[in-house]
Amino acid sequence: MDSHADAKAQDLVDNITGALQQGNSPDPIVDLSDGAHDEYVDLVSLIQGLRDTLVPVEPSAEFAAHLKTQLLISEAGLVARLRKMPARLHVAAILALFAGFSLLLSRRLFGASTAQDISEEPVATAL
Amino acid sequence: MQKLFARRKKYKTLDDRALVELAAADKEAFGELYERYLTKMYNYVYYRTGNTHDAEDLTAKVFQRAMSHIGTYVDRGLPFQAWLYRIAHNLVANWHRDQGRRKIIALDDFVAHSLQSEAPDRWTEEQEEQKHLMEAVRRLPEDRQQLLLLKFIEQLSNAEIGEIMGRTEGAVKSLYHRTLLALREDLQRQDDIGAARRLSGKEG
Repeated sequence: MDSHADAKAQDLVDNITGALQQGNSPDPIVDLSDGAHDEYVDLVSLIQGLRDTLVPVEPSAEFAAHLKTQLLISEAGLVARLRKMPARLHVAAILALFAGFSLLLSRRLFGASTAQDISEEPVATAL
Repeated sequence: MQKLFARRKKYKTLDDRALVELAAADKEAFGELYERYLTKMYNYVYYRTGNTHDAEDLTAKVFQRAMSHIGTYVDRGLPFQAWLYRIAHNLVANWHRDQGRRKIIALDDFVAHSLQSEAPDRWTEEQEEQKHLMEAVRRLPEDRQQLLLLKFIEQLSNAEIGEIMGRTEGAVKSLYHRTLLALREDLQRQDDIGAARRLSGKEG
């Protein structure tokens, strides 16, 4: 097949596919195929078969929702969100953290000495 | 919360290019891209792997990889989906390599629903034909399978397919023609083999 005939055949096949995908009859296009009518009739049935076999499928709603959650609320997502918080929230978070540590530290220090005081008190014995 | 909804609404009006720029720092922008391309990626991977389990697994990997690399995405004038398809294509190729074999798609999962309303015997016959056709499609080289999926499932034009596959519109048209001829030849060969087997079975 020379390049001109090749290009013509490619155009015909492409146009037949387009017609079938749009729900139109490919017959007027096949009629343009001169002597190779039978060959194109064969291809029409193959293209129809592909159109009917390769049909779109949908992912399950459960999978779609789960994956989206996984992607958007990942560890990296949380870090990015924290970074985007206003500066005053950062300061508040640091202060809260500092206050928490101070409280823990003071409890440990003063709490321990109080416990020690109590343990050192003489134990009253019943006579 | 209202701010978030307003932002999501705004993202729906943005084109892919604007969303990609935002997505590097904003997960909600990536979420909008995810909504736009989830079904396309899923379809591509589903038909290339042939089962729901691997399709879900690989689709998740496509978006995880896209999300982790979106910051380094370079706009070369190609549609964003071309980049996603490339990621999917590479993952599927790796999957096939790992499998070491090509599974046959369980056609029962995706036989055209329109056929189910027809007479049961006709439906079974159509199902069988579609199964043979799908098996033949899966024997094609990867680039030809990709072309058929983009043409029939995504219904993309030759120019759009060319952008995704890195070929000219003319090259896509030519590849499509050659693919159909190869497919027809393969189906005829399979028919001949089947006929020969049936004949030898009768004789035996």
